[in-house]
Amino acid sequence: MAVTDRVHWIGAFDPKMRTFDVILKTPNGTTYNAYLVRGSEGVAVIDTVKAETADQFFTRLEAVADYSEIKVIVLNHLEPDHSGALPELMRRAPQATLYISDAAQLMLKALLNNSNIAYTPVTTNDRVSLGDRTLRFLNTPYLHWPDTQCTYLEEEGVLFSGDVFGCHYCDEQLFNDSVGDFRFSFEYYYSHIMRPFKQYVLSALELIEPLQINLIAPTHGPILRDHPRHYVERYRELSTPQLHLEIDHDVKTMLIFYISSYGNTMHMAEAIRDGALEIGGFRISLYDLEGGEVEPFVDLVEDADAILVGSPTINGDAVKPVWDLLSSFAKINVKGKVAGAFGSYGWSGEAVRMVEDRLRGLKMRVPAGGLRIKLIPSDVELEDCRDYGRDIGAFLMGKPRAREIDMSQL
Amino acid sequence: MAKAKIKFADVNVTVTVPVGTRIIEISEKVGSYIAYNCREGDCGSCLFTVLDGAENLSTPSSLEEATLFAHFQEVLDGWRSAGDLESLQSMMRRENFAGKTCRLACQTQVFGDATVAPI
Ligand SMILES: Cc1cc2nc3c(=O)[nH]c(=O)nc-3n(C[C@H](O)[C@H](O)[C@H](O)COP(=O)(O)O)c2cc1C
Ligand code: FES
Repeated sequence: MAVTDRVHWIGAFDPKMRTFDVILKTPNGTTYNAYLVRGSEGVAVIDTVKAETADQFFTRLEAVADYSEIKVIVLNHLEPDHSGALPELMRRAPQATLYISDAAQLMLKALLNNSNIAYTPVTTNDRVSLGDRTLRFLNTPYLHWPDTQCTYLEEEGVLFSGDVFGCHYCDEQLFNDSVGDFRFSFEYYYSHIMRPFKQYVLSALELIEPLQINLIAPTHGPILRDHPRHYVERYRELSTPQLHLEIDHDVKTMLIFYISSYGNTMHMAEAIRDGALEIGGFRISLYDLEGGEVEPFVDLVEDADAILVGSPTINGDAVKPVWDLLSSFAKINVKGKVAGAFGSYGWSGEAVRMVEDRLRGLKMRVPAGGLRIKLIPSDVELEDCRDYGRDIGAFLMGKPRAREIDMSQL
Repeated sequence: MAKAKIKFADVNVTVTVPVGTRIIEISEKVGSYIAYNCREGDCGSCLFTVLDGAENLSTPSSLEEATLFAHFQEVLDGWRSAGDLESLQSMMRRENFAGKTCRLACQTQVFGDATVAPI
């Protein structure tokens, strides 16, 4: 199918797909978009399709070009739904040169289990000429694979964006102005695929926004020819931290989450807050997880600088809403945020240590060992809680309090 | 018993320890942000940097060196691959974690004063 007079869509439809990558709902199926670009001195194939749909890809390719004309193959990232037909394509067009990003090199060998594949690694502003048409590469790592790049067809203003600006939506009309209403799919795809990489999206937009863009050709879902810049702007909006649009840029935020059956962990949470307030200079919010709903907190956690989590030990474990909260952290980027765990326990007290391990596992910074108190906190123990709040607060403000101790005291 | 002082720069804590103590035994107790997982030198999660006193720490074993190489690759691109030790080593030299020495906390023993920090 012609996208412009020099660009053809040679992808595949997969209308029956219902779940993608284990976690994504694809109620409308998906497409694997691949493209063919014709220049005066040869043809380029940009991305391939999932192995199971390779027949569609080769049939569409053969309808618009001969294998012998293919001079260039570009893979914008190596995820199997785009690299699946690559080995067969390279077998049929052995004269073609494969272009991948620097970061894709080791992955390519692991993926194809073949170290004899010839390729040319490229990075931002490297160009490949097809005679009267030129492909320029943009290195846009971690969107959403480490090896991601975009490819820009200069003379036509076409951005082959890979998974960026894509979505799982299958409609043979193919173009955004003629398919059905795919807004849900676009937003859902962003929030499940791109959201944890917001920082990288913002860096990629620095490269993408200055381009003259007439059309965006992503690897899934509709081709964006009507108002293509709208989608670029939407990515900018979705990736910009919201909190700092509302309050002063440099005000830090601490969130204290807790759940408590008899109020012991709650009293700890309050005392920690009081201690942190003494340090001051940042905002503190206290949230009770009772009721178990954690989804509303995800946006807050994403923008927060410090997150403390309190749980009693129940049957040797932290309580479910606490785990639900922690598992929701995988949707966003929490790496490097300050974190801590606390809780009241009765006899074995495993919860705090488990939560702390999880926080570390998420690569959060846990500046002070988790705080456990046996049953009802005494006045002295509540003072320990305040001290813990002061410690975390001081750390958050970049001034960790100096301590000298002997190992035997630990 | 001979003692040494080990400072964890990220949490600003200095701990006096018996010589021979492993970094991980202390870091986990003072809340330093040095992660860990296997505690056996295999997983590479306990990577840290030595800011001062590298000579006062145990020499890395061959296990530790192998894990450091493997882990470095993972840090760099997030992906395990069918080994390409040469390019890993050259990447490691290139970055060298900004010129700092990197070690594994579960393997490294303290024999004298040193200052360490998470990567
Ligand atoms: C059903 C139940 C199971 C419990 N299991 C454990 C346990 O396995 N280990 C433990 O240390 N304490 C256990 N406890 C004790 C609680 O951790 C302790 O009462 C704690 O102070 C409760 O804190 P909270 O008031 O913040 O909920 C259990 C309590 C209940 C009610
Ligand atoms: S904890 Fe696994 S290598 Fe040290």
